[in-house]
Amino acid sequence: MSRKTNKARVGAAINKKDVKRQRVLLIWAALFVIYGIIFYYIPLGGWIMAFQNYKPKTGLLHSTFVGLGKFKFLFSDQTFLKVIRNTLAMGVLNLVSTFFMAILFAILLNEIRSAFGKKSVQTISYLPHFLSWIIVTGILHDALSTTGIINELLVNLHIIDTPISFFSKPGLFWPIVAFANVWKETGWNAIIYLAAITSIDPCLYESASIDGAGRWAKIKYITLPGIRPTIMILLLMNIGNVLNAGFEVQYLLGNGLIKSVSDTIDIYVLTWGISQSDYSLGTAAGIFKSVVAIILIVIANYIARRTGEERLF
Amino acid sequence: MKFKRITALLMTTLLSVSLLAGCGDKGGNEGTTTDTADTSTTDTASDSAADTTETTEGGDDSASDKEYAADEIIDFTFFGAMPNPEINDGNEIQEIIAKKTGVRVKETWLTGQTASEAVGTIIASGEYPDFIDGGDACTQLYDADALVAWDEYIEKYPNIKELYSDEEWDRFRQDDGKIYWCNVFQNSYGENRSTTHNDEAFWIQVKVLEWGGYPEIHTLDQYYDLLERYAAENPTLEDGTPVIPYTMLCEDWRYFCIENAPQFLDGYPNDGSVIVDTDNMKIVDYNTTETAQKYFRKLNEEYNKGIIDVEFATQTYDEYIAKLSTGSVLGMCDQWWDFAFTVNDVFKQTGLDKKGCNYVPLGLTIEEGMDNMWHTYGDTQNIASGLAITTSCEDVEAAFKFVNDLLDQEIHDLRFWGVEGTDYLVDENGLYYRTEEMRMQASDTEYKASHLCAYSYFPQWLGTSKDGINAMQTSEQTSEFFAGLAEPLVKCFEAYGAENYPDMIGSVNKEMGPWFPMYSYSNNLTTETAGGVAWTKMGEVKHEWLPKIVMASDFDSAWDSYMSAYEACNPQDFLAEMQEELDRRVAAAQ
Repeated sequence: MSRKTNKARVGAAINKKDVKRQRVLLIWAALFVIYGIIFYYIPLGGWIMAFQNYKPKTGLLHSTFVGLGKFKFLFSDQTFLKVIRNTLAMGVLNLVSTFFMAILFAILLNEIRSAFGKKSVQTISYLPHFLSWIIVTGILHDALSTTGIINELLVNLHIIDTPISFFSKPGLFWPIVAFANVWKETGWNAIIYLAAITSIDPCLYESASIDGAGRWAKIKYITLPGIRPTIMILLLMNIGNVLNAGFEVQYLLGNGLIKSVSDTIDIYVLTWGISQSDYSLGTAAGIFKSVVAIILIVIANYIARRTGEERLF
Repeated sequence: MKFKRITALLMTTLLSVSLLAGCGDKGGNEGTTTDTADTSTTDTASDSAADTTETTEGGDDSASDKEYAADEIIDFTFFGAMPNPEINDGNEIQEIIAKKTGVRVKETWLTGQTASEAVGTIIASGEYPDFIDGGDACTQLYDADALVAWDEYIEKYPNIKELYSDEEWDRFRQDDGKIYWCNVFQNSYGENRSTTHNDEAFWIQVKVLEWGGYPEIHTLDQYYDLLERYAAENPTLEDGTPVIPYTMLCEDWRYFCIENAPQFLDGYPNDGSVIVDTDNMKIVDYNTTETAQKYFRKLNEEYNKGIIDVEFATQTYDEYIAKLSTGSVLGMCDQWWDFAFTVNDVFKQTGLDKKGCNYVPLGLTIEEGMDNMWHTYGDTQNIASGLAITTSCEDVEAAFKFVNDLLDQEIHDLRFWGVEGTDYLVDENGLYYRTEEMRMQASDTEYKASHLCAYSYFPQWLGTSKDGINAMQTSEQTSEFFAGLAEPLVKCFEAYGAENYPDMIGSVNKEMGPWFPMYSYSNNLTTETAGGVAWTKMGEVKHEWLPKIVMASDFDSAWDSYMSAYEACNPQDFLAEMQEELDRRVAAAQ
């Protein structure tokens, strides 16, 4: 309903009085628009590099134009196809695992009665979010090394005989990355769901109790439907981020042996664009990534609209 | 309400002011800390330090008569695209050099990235340090027009000109006919004094050789056999750390440790990326030779026997060095400069050198009785990289003058010997020497950071000092070399009838062709050419597959998959370009 009234207002002519009344707001809004133009739109001009054989010496204006040549190279490169696969796989895996864990965690946390317990668990659980990836990967690297705590534990519990070299097994890399993401982000992501849960009218819970609903029933019929709009919006926003499966984690945890599963598009851009100073190729790969991200988000939004859910635009 | 607001405003202003003041303070503090550092070392070195000041002030007979005041000193920046320990601000010798030359250079080094990534980022930003050594990425800097040509300055500054002969300088010329950088290593003044094997080898701890009764070891089989037998009998160190019989490094560009041994095993020198078959002047790919297959089959066999470190494929350089430093690694294949400086210092500090943990090189070949060329006698001029001055440098004249001054014998001694009286003494014949205490001190990380400043990636000499008596660098002073050797090393050298490391590896002393080393060309290939693309892709495939085939349970099928992945990179494009360059170099020499 509220959407409708908004629309009606936008449609109506804006008169001077409105402008005057909202002067401050307009100035602020304008600042953000300018910010967006400078930092998001102007750099897009650099996309022209993808169609040139760009050299720093000749610059944007005088480099030779090669049309779609760089894109052709990209899609005939086996490595690039592998890199797309890795990025998508890790992106989806990360999205699914962090998403579910955050909701689950928020609901569990909400069920804790003691305010002190709840607060302390929450604080402790979101602290890892503030660690930089370099530290997280350092911890992981040590914990999972052949002499690390995980291997010692497994060996002492007689689950395995000899230590496993976790980082030399290609099959384990994606789960390790997903686990790292869950460990780091669950607490932080749960905050927004917790906030959404708090905004649910307590009367609903009370009346449900009177009707004889237990904890489980309350979660199922009140909490989950209550945070459903939040879940949908966050899901939509995260889908656009799937291709941002990460750079630091893979870059820092990867090694030559598992390169074929660990490299992401961002790493590919770095190795070809920066290291080999083929800026054009790097830009082309970056454009591809942006285009896929836009397509994904449009599709997700469309599906959300069709199913009558909350949506972004 | 209003009052509150004003107070809030005041508070914020106060806060920001105090923050600013905080920053200012910090600068001041740094100054004072250095001062205290100064005094503390003076204290420890007591009267000898007093002597030093006298000598530095009194011994002003050379060109640098003038002492620069603090406000006259120009500060330059330097970036080295290789990891290296950073020295402290206010480093003592750095300050002495600054006073004498009027220039202080703040050096920063590569951390956590690859050289080309770091240099690529610098190019993309367009802001360069005053001096740069781009490592493998020097050509990228040249392509970006970021470097200042040396030509006129070489003529102007005698010390710089003296570094190389005209012919050698010409080799540095880029396709526009100018010189943009100058390699600083492997360049001897006067008589060559090399006592170390500053090259690649299969290394082994002396205690293993001693245990085996100093056997003759010429092949891979003999080498691993000895490691196996020793490890079977001595599975742990005294403190219970398990022994790692063999490890190898596969990280980033350092994967040469696993990758390029086949060229040496076939008896060829370090051309780096290819073998040059001197019989018919043809380029040979060492990745696909029978020797390569034999070598990797051997590694695979040893890995499956548990002789090779299970973590070899995933360890980082730091982890590798840490492992070596514990003394638990019996052997590995590596370049001397890649491990020895750090690891030998640790051995000295921890006393592991007395227990026979030092490494000696073995000149292995694939078959018994072949000549080996692991050691390169004399200087190798690597034209692919070196020190360059960038277009961001505002006082190019001063920069070149500084490079010139650094080559002044007095400054050179400060860089590589230290302060007379504190770091070395001079006997009645003018021979420099160190006491055991000074040697210990010079291997201490803390001391190195606060006191020593070698400007190690600036032009320098090896060989004999201009006084005709001493070596240019401490490591090459014969008397120092012997005095610094630990007991087990001495015994080992004696047992093999060797005087030093090069004797130990016993390479044949054959003069290198004018094309040597070919890596100076392949290092600078870019993805502009088909060969460059192939070279990059080959590198990626080898990075992934070499550890894989070593760890494979079925070697043959893994080798076949590796070969098909390798062929898919079109190595022939790369080899063709290398052949072209070889022909060019041979023709140019005639």
